[in-house]
Amino acid sequence: MEITVAFNKVDYKIGTTTILNNISLDIKAGEITGFLGLNGAGKSTLLSLINGLRNQTSGKITLLGTELPSDDGRLRSKIGVVFQETALYEELTTFENLEFAAALYNLENTKERITEVLELLKLMDRKNQIVKTLSGGLKRRVAIARGFLHDPQLLIIDEPTLGVDVEARHAIWSHLRLLKSQGRTIIVATNYLDEAQALCDMVAVLHKGRLLTTASPDYLVSRAGYCLDVECDAEAGEKFIDILSGKKGVLRADTTPSGLSIFLKDRTLKKQMLDIIVGTGKINGFRFRSPDLAEVFKSLQEKNDHVP
Amino acid sequence: MTMFLRVLSASFRAEIIKLFRSPFLIALVMVQAVTFLFLVTLFGLTGAFAPTALIDYDKGPLAKEFVKNLENAHHSFSLMFNYDYKKALEEIRHGNLVAIIMIPQGFSKAIAASRTAPIGVVIDNIDTDMSMDIQRALPSAITDFGRNQGFKEIRVESAEKDLIDHDTDFVTYMVVSALVLAALVISGILSGVAVASEFESKTVEFLAVSPIHPLVVFIGRVLAANIVSVIGLTVAVAVGLIGWGIKPLYPLQMAGVLLVSVFIFGLVGMALGVSMKKAFPVASFIFGVALPLYLFSGTYEPERFDGNLLWAMAHFTPLYYAVGIIEHAVLGLKVTPESVTVNYLALAGWALLALYVSWRLTRKNILS
Repeated sequence: MEITVAFNKVDYKIGTTTILNNISLDIKAGEITGFLGLNGAGKSTLLSLINGLRNQTSGKITLLGTELPSDDGRLRSKIGVVFQETALYEELTTFENLEFAAALYNLENTKERITEVLELLKLMDRKNQIVKTLSGGLKRRVAIARGFLHDPQLLIIDEPTLGVDVEARHAIWSHLRLLKSQGRTIIVATNYLDEAQALCDMVAVLHKGRLLTTASPDYLVSRAGYCLDVECDAEAGEKFIDILSGKKGVLRADTTPSGLSIFLKDRTLKKQMLDIIVGTGKINGFRFRSPDLAEVFKSLQEKNDHVP
Repeated sequence: MTMFLRVLSASFRAEIIKLFRSPFLIALVMVQAVTFLFLVTLFGLTGAFAPTALIDYDKGPLAKEFVKNLENAHHSFSLMFNYDYKKALEEIRHGNLVAIIMIPQGFSKAIAASRTAPIGVVIDNIDTDMSMDIQRALPSAITDFGRNQGFKEIRVESAEKDLIDHDTDFVTYMVVSALVLAALVISGILSGVAVASEFESKTVEFLAVSPIHPLVVFIGRVLAANIVSVIGLTVAVAVGLIGWGIKPLYPLQMAGVLLVSVFIFGLVGMALGVSMKKAFPVASFIFGVALPLYLFSGTYEPERFDGNLLWAMAHFTPLYYAVGIIEHAVLGLKVTPESVTVNYLALAGWALLALYVSWRLTRKNILS
């Protein structure tokens, strides 16, 4: 498969502080790739190395066949960027923002293209609304509309659903999936594992400027294990851990303030484990859920190996 | 080139829309333009006219002659006649008068009889500048009076030869210069704020990832800010022409230098916006340096009276050259040793410098 962006042993430093350390990564064309990590992991910095807002300290980055840094305006016209803070002109309307962007990218048939994009992102009814009066979710949608207005080969989105409500979040995800289905390569940076699961074909997990692993989101979740949270008192929790440790299919069991969390290799083990627990002691309740990002990190760090 | 013009025009349009969606800002710009005219007028009025009560106890013909000489003796005198001594003293204590001049009873008779007549003077010496005006003016008036009356003891008289064929009123002189000061403040601030707000709102990052250099967008914004500045200055010029009765000798040259000033000071504002990246410091800086620059630039009085050091320093400000051109255009004065052409070239140099600084710093400041 064609490679859109290739990082080869890339470092980025500010003074003596290392922000990104020895990153090697290939981003494939036509996929949605996620940069996953907690705040300060280096996700936004990695994005800014691709979009040209920063230059790497060492190593090699190739974007659409061109080595970075590059001052080539034609290369910049092939990428679209949606910033974390949207970077929209707040005093202008949605349409005026897009019209201005169309001029920057020298688009033809401006009105038709803007209308097409507004319809795609269901923003037609907000066309003449001044941006500062839009909700956070709508502003994100306008920023996404502006990002791919010029039909870029690569769309880079920093935190696509930061600060938006659940409904808007799902709407944005579905728009991004639609763009992917039209053959675009998309890179998203996110804090949320569920977002990566909902959107990405592949994720690169970053932690403190290092690339921990690259894998499919489902693989990462299964590796961390499906989580069974059990509410019980501390004494019962200790007893359950003793019984469950070493059982086949149990990856890990941790005490929590409300009881314990048991990580299972397979969803189907849920009933079997609950039967064992209920037969051993008293519980106040339970729930089954996917692991969160912190738990994925923990599993990656504990095993300290590379995932294919 | 087509893309350059398209982006320039789109940025211009976007900024115009933005500015005209803030009618309060436009109104403030106009008020600010006119405010400078009032400000420098106050300088002129307080510096040029010392309110002085004249109490004539004599009321004779020679006393009246003497008053005429007082009125003509010094531009600083603003004689007021409706005071008695008690009221005048009260007004001096309240700071409404600078001095009281009293012509004693028997003044006309004493002069006619060739006797010395003492003129009583009370001076508020809290401000030496004002009291020295009085101290200079009075002997001058007495000398003129003596010469007119044929006093034999006066054997010296001045033979005045004017440098130019017309006198220029001090307030008019300063108001004309204030028009380019207003251009600096309005255009510099509007342009600087427009550019700095690109950094503040981070929209500059969007510009930086686009195919065209952000400087093209900035210039479009400066041109839009120029339009609003020209509207503000037009109001100020109208106030100057109608309110102050200024009649420009070369109206087209006056319009030309004001337009050039608006554009060049806009570019200077752009360079400051790129350098500082924040709107409030840009506005404060321009506002803060405008008045000292104005005074440096020979706008308070012709530059050669300010001493060589200030005059040399004035050459490093664009206002100096703009003042040189506008004083020539409106009043026919040559207040700089440099010709009008050289002054225009110096302003063009400032424009190029502002463009170069902006170009050098834009990407650097975005990357930082």
